[in-house]
Amino acid sequence: MERIGFLKKEKIEEYLQSLSKKGELYVPVDVGRAVKFEKYLTGSSICLDRPPTLPPKSVIYPQSERLFKFKFKKDEGNVDLIEIEEVEDTKKRIIFGARPCDSAGFSVIDNVFIQTDTPDVYYERRRMNSFIAAKACDKPSAGCFCIAVGGGPFDDSGSDALITELEEGYLIEAKTEKGSLFLDWELIEPGDDHLEKKLKKKEESERLLSEYLGELKKIEPLDPKTESFNDENFWKRHLSKCISCGLCTYLCPTCYCFNITDEKKIFEGERIRSWDSCMFFHFTLEASGHNPRPDKFKRFRNRVGHKFMFYPEKYSQLIACCGCGRCIRFCPVSVDIREVVFELQKPRRV
Amino acid sequence: MPQESKKELRIIGFLCNWCSYGGADTAGVSRFKQPTDLRIVRVPCSGRVDPLFVVRAFLSGADGVLVSGCHPRDCHYSDGNYYARRRLEMLKRLLPFFGIDDRRFHYTWVSASEGERWQRVVTEFTKVIHGLGPLKIEEGEEIG
Amino acid sequence: MVELKEKISEVFRDTNLVICWREGFDPIHATPHFVREESQIEDSIFNLFCVHNLCVYLPFLKEKAGILVKGCDSRTLIQFLQEGLIRREDVVIIGISCRGIIDVGKLMREVLYEAVTGVSIDGDSIKVKTVSREREFQLTSLLADKCKICRYPNPLIYDHLIGEPVESKVSWDMAYEDIREFEKKPLEDRLSFWTKEIGKCIRCYACRNACPLCICRDRCIAETRDPHFTSQSVELKEKFMFHFIHAVHLAGRCVECGECERACPVGIPVKMMKKKINLEMKELFDYETGINVDDKPPMYTFKAEEEKIKEHEL
Ligand code: SF4
Ligand code: SF4
Ligand code: SF4
Ligand code: SF4
Ligand code: SF4
Ligand code: SF4
Ligand code: FES
Repeated sequence: MERIGFLKKEKIEEYLQSLSKKGELYVPVDVGRAVKFEKYLTGSSICLDRPPTLPPKSVIYPQSERLFKFKFKKDEGNVDLIEIEEVEDTKKRIIFGARPCDSAGFSVIDNVFIQTDTPDVYYERRRMNSFIAAKACDKPSAGCFCIAVGGGPFDDSGSDALITELEEGYLIEAKTEKGSLFLDWELIEPGDDHLEKKLKKKEESERLLSEYLGELKKIEPLDPKTESFNDENFWKRHLSKCISCGLCTYLCPTCYCFNITDEKKIFEGERIRSWDSCMFFHFTLEASGHNPRPDKFKRFRNRVGHKFMFYPEKYSQLIACCGCGRCIRFCPVSVDIREVVFELQKPRRV
Repeated sequence: MPQESKKELRIIGFLCNWCSYGGADTAGVSRFKQPTDLRIVRVPCSGRVDPLFVVRAFLSGADGVLVSGCHPRDCHYSDGNYYARRRLEMLKRLLPFFGIDDRRFHYTWVSASEGERWQRVVTEFTKVIHGLGPLKIEEGEEIG
Repeated sequence: MVELKEKISEVFRDTNLVICWREGFDPIHATPHFVREESQIEDSIFNLFCVHNLCVYLPFLKEKAGILVKGCDSRTLIQFLQEGLIRREDVVIIGISCRGIIDVGKLMREVLYEAVTGVSIDGDSIKVKTVSREREFQLTSLLADKCKICRYPNPLIYDHLIGEPVESKVSWDMAYEDIREFEKKPLEDRLSFWTKEIGKCIRCYACRNACPLCICRDRCIAETRDPHFTSQSVELKEKFMFHFIHAVHLAGRCVECGECERACPVGIPVKMMKKKINLEMKELFDYETGINVDDKPPMYTFKAEEEKIKEHEL
């Protein structure tokens, strides 16, 4: 079967409409000073010219999701009389217009939630029923560094299809079985003739990115023996400016930490699972009142450690950061995680 | 749609234990006729009413919120209602900025002996809320 | 900026810590810089990208510090002093008379977030070089909104002053025109405006943590389970609750530095709500935040007879 197609620019609207009939379609939309993935509605204007402010993570791994509903039939607190209503989510979801780094982000989460003896059924179900088409990047955005962590502006890992925007239209390459969904032969034509142009674009884009990155072109995982890592003064020196918000983790395509709470109203309620962030004080607050990570330095150290040391240790040297640059681009005080890793790897000052 | 609603609406009242709560009691004991939309939360003093209680009530589905404390100079803790007055006035002026009609929120002073005044306050306020109808804060489309 | 570095050196000798700025990850970003060693002074800068209100760190510091403040930032210090959040003897203030800063978020949006590789400023125009092209802007078109209506370009409190005094012709009414305009809209339009804006909120709390007056932070009631003021759900109502919390807790305290708004990744105009309250504070109590050290924030006090608060009739 043909795996490469070409969609003329003027047909994009029609194409998206047809896609939206195959499942719940999410596209990046300009919501005013930000670009967010939203459900496609006829007439939605899709925004592909800049990186989405928020990654499409929430489509598959919602910021807050109901795990089940419960109801006390008679007496509150009597476990025997609880009625549970499970959530059965079998919806088919389609993401069009992610960035390659966004897709790579899902691969990072997959390792934790799916490739394990005890998969997370909620995530797994949604992930398995999702179809992702990433749009390759023509040029780097502020803070981008995907190539430094093993990705790239035309990388397809985690994506089912890769879209390249050319002058006259979009080149659509199916990369997995599921990717065929994006090859709607009623609207597209064979695309092999455009491959060459795509390769040129790819080269150009990669060149621009590595020029932009300079000495930060390659980031290696952190050695567990990194000395500065356990040096409080190191963190004080580099992270005094952090204001310890949750922006960097909430915007991150690879962060997957969550919390579970029961929201109850008299006799009934629901159990929800919602994003949490290691940058928050409450993240590690124990019932006793003790907090092993009471200050921002320890919290930031965890974030860097998790992404560049503990995760790679566990998952064959894969870094848990796809280099999307969002945490750098939007950090209110411009903390640069690349710089921190880089500094950690510098020989220790005497 | 500010049409007269016959259905019972949800009105939350934060009443100071030392005065208005007693006032409501007096009204009840005297069998003054009162509308039944009001749900009362007894508080130790109007000064205990954080403006955010009022906001939480609205966001949890209240259509109107009433705060009632001791008359100025009569606060059991001497200054509670003076602080309350500033905070609640601030809130009353803030609500419409978010698009919530400030008539949905009323604060006033009723003493324990003023059963009749209490009856009037509740009746009038309930009428105002019925005039405004239910408060709707619509849910936007959410991902997921 | 020889003068800047000299002043920092001078203060550093006294405090051993000066909070200032250095260059950030690209030419349009500066980043806060904690000078703890003499050698770090060299990196300090002051330019149009020094947008942060550095006072945000002060209430949490356990040491004496020197700090750089622009005119607007200096109000924060006065507010801190009014509320007893810092001690005057613990800070050495280097004030900067300011001609305005750039709205970096806006600039990034203008260039569609393309990676910036260079900037040059020439008089009233700024040239921004990105990886694919060069664009020229009028500085005024990129000026932060707060700078367009700045009434205090000169620090109101300082120990050292840098720069020539700047004159402001902005009146109170001009500064609050946006709020008055917004209030002309019908109620339903206001509600739908906030529904759309607040609907974007992801509750990352960057606005709260960037706010110098939000000093509870780790103990913020927006996050505690007890009391259970907000739930973890992403319902619109929970987001509204958080914004009411921030606004109400800033009543008569917000110094309008605009950090909350600048920090927000999804561009919610969170400062507007606080400005609205400030307008009321002025009207009700003739109080303006961060102007006189001896003032008392209106929510911290009362009068038995309030001149401006009338009983409400039903
Ligand atoms: S690194 Fe930046 S975004 Fe992350 S917590 Fe610190 S200040 Fe917030
Ligand atoms: S850590 Fe930062 S750059 Fe890396 S994936 Fe997360 S947001 Fe992107
Ligand atoms: S521990 Fe921190 S960095 Fe790691 S996934 Fe969780 S929130 Fe993200
Ligand atoms: S990091 Fe930037 S260039 Fe790389 S894939 Fe993501 S958006 Fe594209
Ligand atoms: S910074 Fe913006 S998105 Fe984050 S909590 Fe504040 S308003 Fe919401
Ligand atoms: S609420 Fe916003 S403008 Fe006001 S002091 Fe805090 S950060 Fe500054
Ligand atoms: S005791 Fe009634 S208002 Fe204070």
